[in-house]
Parts: sequence; C-alpha cells; structure tokens
Amino acid sequence: MAAVAIHQFAQCITCHAWSPDHSMVAFCPNNNEVHIYKLVREKWEKLHVLYKHDQIVSAIDWSLRSNKIVTASHDRNSYVWNQEGSEWVPTLVILRLNRAALCVQWSPKENKFAVGSGAKTVCICYYEEENNWWVSKLIRKKHNSSVTGVAWHPNNILIATTSTDGKCRVFSTFIKGVDTRATGISSSNDAKFGEQIVQLDLSSTWTFGVKWSPSGNTLAYAGHNSMIYFVDDVGPSPSAQSVAFRDLPLRDVLFVSDRMAIGVGFDCNPMVFAADERGIWSFVRFLDERKIAPSSSKYSSQFSEAFGKLYGQPKHGMNNDTHDGSRHRGGAHENCITCIVPMITAGDTIVKRFSTSGLDGKIVTWELDNVTDALR
Amino acid sequence: MANSLRSYLACIRNTLDAAMCLQNFPCQEVERHNKPEVELKTSPELLLNPILICRNEAEKCLIETSINSVRVSIKVKRADELEKHTGKKFLRFLSMRAEAFQVLRRKAIQGYDLSFLITNYHCEDMQKHKLIDFIVQFMRTLDKEISELKLSVNTRGRLG
Repeated sequence: MAAVAIHQFAQCITCHAWSPDHSMVAFCPNNNEVHIYKLVREKWEKLHVLYKHDQIVSAIDWSLRSNKIVTASHDRNSYVWNQEGSEWVPTLVILRLNRAALCVQWSPKENKFAVGSGAKTVCICYYEEENNWWVSKLIRKKHNSSVTGVAWHPNNILIATTSTDGKCRVFSTFIKGVDTRATGISSSNDAKFGEQIVQLDLSSTWTFGVKWSPSGNTLAYAGHNSMIYFVDDVGPSPSAQSVAFRDLPLRDVLFVSDRMAIGVGFDCNPMVFAADERGIWSFVRFLDERKIAPSSSKYSSQFSEAFGKLYGQPKHGMNNDTHDGSRHRGGAHENCITCIVPMITAGDTIVKRFSTSGLDGKIVTWELDNVTDALR
Repeated sequence: MANSLRSYLACIRNTLDAAMCLQNFPCQEVERHNKPEVELKTSPELLLNPILICRNEAEKCLIETSINSVRVSIKVKRADELEKHTGKKFLRFLSMRAEAFQVLRRKAIQGYDLSFLITNYHCEDMQKHKLIDFIVQFMRTLDKEISELKLSVNTRGRLG
C-alpha cells in the first residue's frame, strides 16, 4: 500500500471530490472558485471553472449516481451543479443561513443533502420541482457552536454531526413526501424530522470529521485533543471507545471497511486504525513511510542570526535550509491534510482507493492492496 | 544558563507545534467575516486554555490558542536601568516594522514586551515548522541583541 499518484494542483486546496468514474476531480484552490480537472493522456487538464460563489468554498461533494456537484461556501450559499452538454449549470439552494456553510454531503439516495453551518444549524435540502430549486429544512437550536461535519447513515434517514462545542449528535431527517416509511431501521422510523436520537459527549474540545462505517453500525469522529472516538450501537444505549494517540490531532476520518478506518490531520500522514476480533479499536501505523531525520543536532546547527533569517529568507519558506529536524519531511504531504475522500463506485462497501488533499495543494491517491497489507 | 535557555526554547517549540493546529474558521458572530478568534474572544468554546511558560520571574512566554489563530506573547529580561531603556527602544523599533515580520503584532498585549499573532492564513502560506523555527530563533537572538546593545553603549561611554 502506498501513494500511487501525487499531483500538485494549486498552492493550497481546501476540499476536493471525484466524479463517479474518477476521471475528473473538482477542488477549491483556497478561493471562491471550483476547478474541475480531467486526466487526459496521463496529464491533468483544466476543463471547467465553476464561478458563482464570492467567498472561499468550504466543501464539495460529487454524487455517485446522478453526477451532480454540490458546493458550500463561507458566503452563506450553496449551489447544486448539473452538467448540461459541456457546461455546468448551477441551481439555487435556499439555505436560509445567516452564517457560513462549512460542510456538505449528499445522502446515499441522493435525493437530499445536508449542509452544516456556522449558524449552529444543519440544513437538510431537497429538490422542489415546481420552482426548480432546492429548499431546506433546518435543524435548529441543537448545536451550541459551528457544525464542522455531517455524515449520512446508509439508511438515508439518520445523520450524524460534529461541532466545535465538542459533541457528536445523531438526528433523524425524515421528510414527508421525500422519504418513505418503509426504508431504514425500525427504531429510526418513528422519529420525526430534526429529532435528536443521541448526543455523544466524549470529547472535551472541538470535534471533526464524523463518518459512518459502510454497514452503518459504527460511527467514528475525531477530537482536537488527539483522540478518535468509535461508537457502536448508536441509539438509546451506545457503546463508545476512545483511542488516544501521541501525534497531532485529526481533521477527517474515513472508513475503508467496517473494521478499519483512516484518519488524516495535522500530522501530514494518514493514520490507520483497526478493530481486532473483539472489536477493540487501536492505532496500527502510519500509512506513509517517512524518512526519520536525525534529531540530535537540532539546536547546534541553528546559530545563525535571526535577522539574516528574517530578511534573507523567501516568504514561502521554500528554500532548502541545511537544517531540518522536523518530522514533516519525506512524506507525500507537507502540510496539514484537511480532506479524505473514498474512490468508490455505487454499491461498493469496501474502499480500495482513496485520496487526500491538504494545505500543500496536493491531491494524493492511495491504494490499499488488501486489508492485511494495511495491518502489517 | 545556556542549558536553561535551551530547555525554555525547546518547551516553547513543542508547545507551539501542538498549538499551531489551525484551520480556516469563519466568524460565528458577524456574517461573512473571518477574524482571529484569539483576538475576538466572543465564543469561549473556540478558545483553548492559555499556556504560560516561565524561565524565571522576568522572562516568560504566554501562548494563547484558538481554532484559527495563536497569539504568542513574550517578556524579555531587564537586568538594570540601561537594559530596560535600550530594550524598550529596540522593541519599539521592531514593533514599528511589524509588517516586515508578517506574524508580529504591532502592539504587545498587556504585561508583555512583544506579541506574535499567527493565523491559519500564515500556516497556509508558510510551512509550519519554519514559522516555529522563526519564532524560536527570534527569541534566541532577542536576548543576545539586547545585551550587545548594552555592551556597545558601555564601550562608547568608556571611550568618551
């Protein structure tokens, strides 16, 4: 298992998403645009620039079946982009937000999507044919701070959220006329829209990157205190596990199977977590082999004048300083990884390939040969 | 003495490494704004506990962290009147040129001599470990510079 492709697309990438066939990638180069690149004869070519937002785009999701892109931005708006001919046409989404939209995800059936916001609300959006726009229903007054992550349960009804108030919550999003009662687990069927199923108060600080396992039995999210939480039996009596690790905190989590998860974050190197036969989760290893820099001469080589450093050094720190005792070298990513996206086709339950993007402007594709390989 | 400086700076370096886990975070209070939360202090849940690292009574370093910004404030030693005076002049000289340093704050917070404000934008433009290197290096040379100033003033005095 290793990084199979690394490509530098921009100076800095906030989020990215793949087309259903993985031939195209959409990403935000840390501004108000969304760029779509296509791999043509081993080379990436810029096909489209989606230009509608007027502040930084915080999240992108590309639906697997219906080939629609949804974007969310700090300008409080969200758009659904539809490909018509060679053009991408935006459809308005009535979010009714008065703060930034922070995260977005399509529901598994792709008839709804969820937007988490800085207004401490979650918008569940669905399409209204008469008006040709997407309308939203809001889950209000449940969060005490910004919603940093949303994740849909495979049953298309339940949604999990993480927030900077340190809690992870699960809600029902049943919308009359959009969902039918026949689907989903029986327990979640009775819940009305916006009803809180469970609130998990495990973390003492901000939480990020909530995800459901492919079967929907396990929920995982990361805390800013360098912990990752795994929750089984989400419902009236959940059972939770907290896994602490010694490195910097995580920003996002991805389940590759029901028993294995990958965490990415400030440490610039994906971490593998796995459950053993008894279902006990633990940190396994770093995904990226890194060269270990000798740290013994950390201070002796630094006796140069600070002023020379101040004025003589280029702004972006791109020079090859002779000294580098840091651990951020030698890996695929050189700065914080903010986004991890599975590369699956509709119906897949095991993720074989996934990609990560970060503040260093690279999108790295990783391939898992088999599960035992990751556990090695 | 050199050893105590080394462990003091190592402590600051490690704390900064953990503290500088910043991300873009829009303001929760004012729409369409993006402000350093450590300066704003309107949402207590977005702030982490401040850390005070002291070498002795006179020399200390306060690291305040929030979700999208870190404020590092330092207090340097003042052994005598002359050092107090030259130090004040020198720090004023630096603060007036804060733009050139990018992460330096024009005004230090109350009770400190010099403040840095590092936001998520700095972490996007620059490599994090270089930023930490810069701050630690800056602190290392600051002491040296002030004592050199004192020496040269004394030498001049003796010559005159």
